[in-house]
Amino acid sequence: MNELVKIKDLNLIYQSIDSETTALENLNLTIDKNEFISIVGPSGCGKTTILSLISGLIKPTSGEITILDKTPNTKNDLCGYMFQRDNLLPWRSIEKNIYFGLEIKKQCSTDRKEYALDLAKKYGISDFLKKHPSELSGGMRQRVSLIRTLALKPELLLLDEPFSALDYQTRLQLCDDVYDIIKSENKTAILVTHDIQEAISMSDRIIVLTARPGTIKAIHKTDFDSDLSPFERRQTDKAKGLFDIIWQEIQNEKQKNI
Amino acid sequence: MKNKKIFSKAHKDYLNKYRTKKILILISQISILVLLLLAWELLSKYEIISSFFFSSPSKIVNTLVEMLHNGELMYHAKITLNETLLGFAIATGIGFVIAFVLWYSDFLRRVTEPYLVVLNSLPKIALGPIIIIWFGAGEKAIIFMCILIVIIVTIMNILNSFTSCDPQLIALAKSMGANKFQIFFKLILPNSLRDIVATLKINVGLSWIGAIMGEYLVSRAGLGYLLIYGGQVFNLNLVMTATVVLCILASMMYFAVALFEKLMSKLYK
Repeated sequence: MNELVKIKDLNLIYQSIDSETTALENLNLTIDKNEFISIVGPSGCGKTTILSLISGLIKPTSGEITILDKTPNTKNDLCGYMFQRDNLLPWRSIEKNIYFGLEIKKQCSTDRKEYALDLAKKYGISDFLKKHPSELSGGMRQRVSLIRTLALKPELLLLDEPFSALDYQTRLQLCDDVYDIIKSENKTAILVTHDIQEAISMSDRIIVLTARPGTIKAIHKTDFDSDLSPFERRQTDKAKGLFDIIWQEIQNEKQKNI
Repeated sequence: MKNKKIFSKAHKDYLNKYRTKKILILISQISILVLLLLAWELLSKYEIISSFFFSSPSKIVNTLVEMLHNGELMYHAKITLNETLLGFAIATGIGFVIAFVLWYSDFLRRVTEPYLVVLNSLPKIALGPIIIIWFGAGEKAIIFMCILIVIIVTIMNILNSFTSCDPQLIALAKSMGANKFQIFFKLILPNSLRDIVATLKINVGLSWIGAIMGEYLVSRAGLGYLLIYGGQVFNLNLVMTATVVLCILASMMYFAVALFEKLMSKLYK
């Protein structure tokens, strides 16, 4: 397997006026191409910080991150970041929202726009292109947000709790949809989530972080049959067993802080 | 599609009720004006109130017609309108640019903050004597007074709107590699459009205040001058007429901005 992301001895210390906080400590991780990784851990353990570092939004205090041997930078097109909220611009139509990233990157050529429209068609939002975000359901909006991210052809998708703002029914449905889209587009993805079941059902490997300062506590391989959808995976005994293990691990970390 | 739908009787009733209410409101609005004018006219005609102190609608109309004929009305109205529009345009334009600069530079924003607060709370009319000495007792001083009154509010309102953009949207744009100009033109500006139009509406009122106040201080012509002059010689007809003209001009400017607002909201729909 070829390595896409390499994280070596990563440290991050946040500075503020009255204190400094070590958010991440000696983090080492390698992610292969086409892998689906989830990061779980107690609140405040630095899950989102890892995504910000990989995307290049913030710089590490020490240590190194490379994506395809390049240092991450928001100006190159290596990462696509998907947030907890869909962050669609309310004054733009769905179509214009999908082009937002292309406009920022000054890549508004016809074929890039066509690629984006093809994605929209393929994943069932072509009927809504002329509508505005307020006319769409939460699940649909998050789908549009994913298409907007994919339109930039990123190597790596960073998913920061993208389902947590949705109701349970929509959430399960969208998990399946997003999983299908990511797999059929052959993307590598890192999912940050609070939901252990969601992590188990979607990913190839699950990284469990310690309480702050965050570092890797355990890594679990899921080894599901690749034919199973995330929803079907949730039903398996293997998923239930993994859930108990990971739940206990996070619980232990939480108690350490008390 | 919606228009072709055949409405139920209940919906027709609802629409009728809505229309009736709308007409009733309009009728009430007009009758209040008519009744007030009528009462005013009759009371002064039968000298229940002194027409010398209160003037009367018919006298106002007479003065208006007379001033239209001898060109005095257009002369004075033009001068004030000119001062107001210039003050409005310059203050709004420069205020917008300053708001942009202060949004762009966090350092400058924090440096200028106490100055803005002081300038905002200071009654600008207090600077009248200084303005007259610096700019002379003429149109320049009036326009400067007008700008001074409008610009501080413009800067504070627009800057406040610029800085209140959802940080999540900015994070999204940054994660895509947007620079500060892109963030401004693609996020901040469209997001603030509504507030900017609201500021324009406030500025219409403020720029009239500025121009009239300036004319109170130094002018030899203009509607503010007519008001002051009319008051000094106890010509209440002149004072009332100037006030009426002022009302008409200010509302016209307000409606122009409201029209502009409609146009903008259509463009961004």
